Amino acid sequence: MHDDHIGAPAEQRRQRAVDSLHDALHGDNDRLDRITRLARSVFGVAATSVTVLDHDRAWFPSESGLGIAEMPRSQTLCDTAQAGDETLVVEDARADPRFRHLAPVADGSLVFYAGRPLHDHLGNVVGTFCLFDGAARTLDAEQRRTFDDLAAWAEQELVASSEMGQARQVQTSLFPSQPLESGPWSVDGMCLPALAVGGDCYDFGLGGGVLHVGVGDVMGKGTSAALLGAGARAAIRATHGAVTAGADLGVIATQVARSLTPDLERSESFLTVFEAAVDLEDGWTRWVDAGSGLAAQVSADGTITYLTGDDRPFGVLPDDHWTEHTTTLEPGDRLVVISDGVLDLVEDQALVWEDLAVATRAAATPADLLAEVRRWAEVRPPLDDVTVLAVFRAADTGPDVEDSA
Amino acid sequence: MIELDVTTDRGIAVVVPRGRLNMVAARQLRQVLADIITGGTSRIVVDLAETTFLDSSGLGALIGGLKSARQAGGDLRIARPTPEVMTVFTLTNMDKVLRPRDDVGSAFDV
Repeated sequence: MHDDHIGAPAEQRRQRAVDSLHDALHGDNDRLDRITRLARSVFGVAATSVTVLDHDRAWFPSESGLGIAEMPRSQTLCDTAQAGDETLVVEDARADPRFRHLAPVADGSLVFYAGRPLHDHLGNVVGTFCLFDGAARTLDAEQRRTFDDLAAWAEQELVASSEMGQARQVQTSLFPSQPLESGPWSVDGMCLPALAVGGDCYDFGLGGGVLHVGVGDVMGKGTSAALLGAGARAAIRATHGAVTAGADLGVIATQVARSLTPDLERSESFLTVFEAAVDLEDGWTRWVDAGSGLAAQVSADGTITYLTGDDRPFGVLPDDHWTEHTTTLEPGDRLVVISDGVLDLVEDQALVWEDLAVATRAAATPADLLAEVRRWAEVRPPLDDVTVLAVFRAADTGPDVEDSA
Repeated sequence: MIELDVTTDRGIAVVVPRGRLNMVAARQLRQVLADIITGGTSRIVVDLAETTFLDSSGLGALIGGLKSARQAGGDLRIARPTPEVMTVFTLTNMDKVLRPRDDVGSAFDV
């Protein structure tokens, strides 16, 4: 007899662990599917699954041959396997008083069952790896070992997907949570990582009437790039006060690069950055380009002015310097900064700014432009992280220029 | 998958990456360049004529090789990049550090 029934402390802890898996497991689970498919073919059974017990239901983040997405928890053998926290092999469920009353056993569809509990990284049982068949069967010692190996593999995938799912949430929460609006100005950005987490980052903030925006791209993608990106973002954010107070962006970039270069060199990486400080009073804009080369000002008539400098990325040469440049964002002008992942989304990379300028002019708000690029990413799934940041200055429509009553 | 041919002639190693120099291939290139330098050759030409694609990881591998080669008293030079690959160098302003040469044989003449 065990006390792991719904509502008991152990079950509450287990349910919390299952809740944290949720986001990671909803949607496609290709890596788990590979394992359930393989197990079905290796053992020649009718069906296999990874089963998660979630409150009073059992659902299948991955299954092969079952053809259903979920069933009542009370009708499963998995409930018993998970509660016992050990591999359960039932050669003939019809002959087992614990199970013969369960609906799938009683109707003859489930006779053989093997289930091994799957644990998260804290040891909580979060699921089972299962084999099902409609005829009585046994597993010999070698098949038992293979079953354990496949289950251990599924466990690893389950833990990895939940950890990466959590990492993605943390990274997403580092980006600005909502667009910024101030008078005729509106700012928004988005980052679509190619993997669970990515090396792109963007940030924007307002201080003393000056808008400070930045887009950074750490070489590569995935977890290592994300770790370096988080450090870079913190270093740049620390300069926010100085930048909005008017400090020279070239000097600031040089200081940030000096502080990041040892980290970047040790990890054999580098970082491209575009940063700008926009005076919202008159549109006077100071900017610095560290090897990004992917920022442009799109004016009301569609003219594209590229904001690209001659300076290199951070982390390439230890004694590099960066230079501030200036422009003015006039009423109706739009500033768009992208990461190189956007180049993957267009037919012809050389024409990326033509496409972006059209999309930028067609967009009423920065959010419209982001939605359009997101559509591009749906048509051509990106191989690299995709980041877009947009600053729109509305055309003058103040009362002083309205001549109608 | 990328092919990386290496030939060494009169103290200069020539590396020819054939195909896409992406994240996976960049790891290989990094290793190949490191092996060449630890093997005692610090003058390296990377012939990019047959490199069809280069992303930031590939660029990172070249920069890493450049740094190690210079530390060892030599240099790393690139030759014959295609226009597509050249855009990556110009976008990141790396064309001044890794100035492309028109010819592999004379890459170390000047």
